[in-house]
Amino acid sequence: MKRVAILLFAAAVLVSLPWWAGDQYQLHLAALIGAYWVLIAGLNLVVGFSGQLSVGHVGLLAIGAYAYAILAGTHEWNVWLALAASGGIGALCGLLLGLPSLRLPGFYFAMATLAFALIVTELVLALDGLTGGGVGLSVPEFPAPFDTAAGSYWLILGIAVIVTWLTWNVARLMWGRGLIAVRDSMVTAQAVGVPVFHAKLVAFVFSGLTAGLGGALFAVMQSYITPDTFLFELGLFFFVCIIIGGRGSILGPFLGTVVLTALPELSAPLAKLGNFFYGLLLLLVVLLLPEGIGRLFQIGLERLRPQRLGSMPIEPQPAQLALAIKAGQR
Amino acid sequence: MLSALIAGLATGALYAAAALVYNVMFSTSKVLSVTTGHTAMLGGVFGAWFLQAFALPLPVALLGSMAIGALLGALTDFVAIRRVLARSDEHLWLLSTLALATMVQQAVALWWGTEPKPFPRIIPQEFGAGVFDQKYWLPVAVAIALAIGLELFYRGTLYGKLFVAMSEDIFAARARGIPTERIRMFSYVMAGAMGGLAGFAAGQLTFAYFALGLTLTLNGFIALAVGGLGSNLGALVGGAALGILSSIATYYVGGEFQQTISVGLLMLVLLLKPEGLFGTRNVRPV
Repeated sequence: MKRVAILLFAAAVLVSLPWWAGDQYQLHLAALIGAYWVLIAGLNLVVGFSGQLSVGHVGLLAIGAYAYAILAGTHEWNVWLALAASGGIGALCGLLLGLPSLRLPGFYFAMATLAFALIVTELVLALDGLTGGGVGLSVPEFPAPFDTAAGSYWLILGIAVIVTWLTWNVARLMWGRGLIAVRDSMVTAQAVGVPVFHAKLVAFVFSGLTAGLGGALFAVMQSYITPDTFLFELGLFFFVCIIIGGRGSILGPFLGTVVLTALPELSAPLAKLGNFFYGLLLLLVVLLLPEGIGRLFQIGLERLRPQRLGSMPIEPQPAQLALAIKAGQR
Repeated sequence: MLSALIAGLATGALYAAAALVYNVMFSTSKVLSVTTGHTAMLGGVFGAWFLQAFALPLPVALLGSMAIGALLGALTDFVAIRRVLARSDEHLWLLSTLALATMVQQAVALWWGTEPKPFPRIIPQEFGAGVFDQKYWLPVAVAIALAIGLELFYRGTLYGKLFVAMSEDIFAARARGIPTERIRMFSYVMAGAMGGLAGFAAGQLTFAYFALGLTLTLNGFIALAVGGLGSNLGALVGGAALGILSSIATYYVGGEFQQTISVGLLMLVLLLKPEGLFGTRNVRPV
C-alpha cells in the first residue's frame, strides 16, 4: 500500500512537471534526461545486471539518431514508423555487435565496444552522402500535439516509463537473477544451467533497441546532429551514471542519470571541467564505494534504524523426539 | 606506395611500443591498463613542451618526458591498481584505470588545448628526406630497441626474472619472499617510462595531441591481441602488421575506413586463433 502511494506520488510529480517547472529550459533538460534514461535503462541490464562493461553504447545511440534523421527527414517516412525503425535498427546493430564481442572476456569486450563507437563515428564521416558527413543533418520534429516543449516531454516520459517497466520486469524475474549470476560468477551460472551467452545476448540486443529509441528521441531534442554530438565521452557518461548509481538496481542508475545530467547544467565550473569531473567521480566511486552511491544510503539507514533480530528460542519437544527415536529403531 | 608502407610501419611501431607497455604491466599484475596509451601521449606532449617552451637540450627533454610517463605509471599503480587488486571483484581495475585515463586526457586537453601541435625536429635533417625521414625511423628504432632491451632484461637481470616469476604464479612468488607490491610498482614505473620514450620518439609522426592516448590504448591493444598477450615478439609483429595493413587499406580505399579495418583484423584473429599469433592458450577456469 505504501509502495503504491509512493509510486502514484512520483507519477503525479513527473506528469505535472510542465506546470511547475521554472522555464522552458528546465523542461528541455528534463526531456533530455528522459531520452538518456531510455538508453541507460537498457544499458543497465548489460552493465549493471550481467556485468558486461560496454563503454561504447554511444555508437548505438548515434545509429538510432541517424536512422531516425535519415528515415524521417531525407526519406520523409511517417515519424512514428521512423521512430520504431530506429529502435529496430539499433537492436539489429546490437545483435551484430554482440554476436562476436560477447564471447570475449572482460577487457576484450570493453575494447571491442570502444572500437565500435569509434567505427560508427568514422563511418558517419565517411558516408557523407547519407549522413551529411561533418556538416550534419537536421532532424524533423514530432508532429502536433508533441511539437511543444511540454508535448515532447510527455512523449519521452511515456516511452521512458514503458522502457523502465520492461527492464523492471526483466530484472525482478528469473532473467534478472540469471543475469546477476552471470555477473557474479560466470562459471557458477553455467553450472546451474543459466544459458550464459544467450542471456547476455538477449540483454545486449534489448539494450540496442533502447539505445536506438533513445538515439531517435535525443536527435529530436537536439534538432540538428553532427558526428561531434556523439563523442566517445558521451558513452563514458552513460557508463558512469550506472556505476555510480549502483549495479543491479534500477532506481540507483536513474538517480545517477538525473543528478549527473543536471549537475553540470546547474553549476558552471563543473560544466567547464566536464569529463574530468566524470572521470574523478568514477574513480572515487570505484575506489571507495564499488557498490554505488545507493550503498551509502543503505548504510545510513542501518545506522539510523538498526535492524534488531527478534529472539527465536527453540523449545525442546521431548514427545516428538521420542517418536523420532522409535521410528529410527524400527 | 613505398612511402605509404613506411608510414604504416612507423605507426605500427608505435602501436607495438604500446603493446610492449601493456606486456610489462600485465606481467606483474595481470592488469591491462587503459592508461597505457596515455603514457605515450604524455611523452609526446611534454616532449614538445620541454623542447619548445623551455628550449631544453635533447637529453634533458627526453629524460623529462620519460619521467612524466613514469609518473603516470606510478600513479596508475598507486591510485587505480593497488586498492582494487586487493578486492576480489574481477574487472574493477578496468573501471579505475579508465577513470584515471579520462582524467589525464581531459586535464591535458584543458591545459595543452585540443589542437594537435607540431613536435620539433630532434636530429638535424633536411625536410625533403622522403622515406628516410627521421619521423618514420625513430619510432621503428625505439620499438625494436625496447623489445630487445626487454628480452635482455627478462633473461639477464634479477629484476627481470622476478617479473617472469610473478607472471607465472604470483602466490608462489610471494611465498618465496618476493616483495610483489614493490616489484609491481617498479614494473609500472618502467612501463610508464617506456611509454614516454615511445611517445617522444614518435612525436613528429603523431604531433603532440591530447586524444592520441585513447587511440593508442585501443590500437596497442589490437596489436597485442593479434600478436598474443604476453609475447614481446608478438607485440612487434602484431603492431607492424596492424600499421602496414591499415596504411595499405588507406592507400587503396581511402583514409575513412582505417579504424574499421584494424578492428576487422582484430575480430578475424580472435575468431581464428583466440590466443593470438604467439600467445599461449588460456585454460578456462572452472
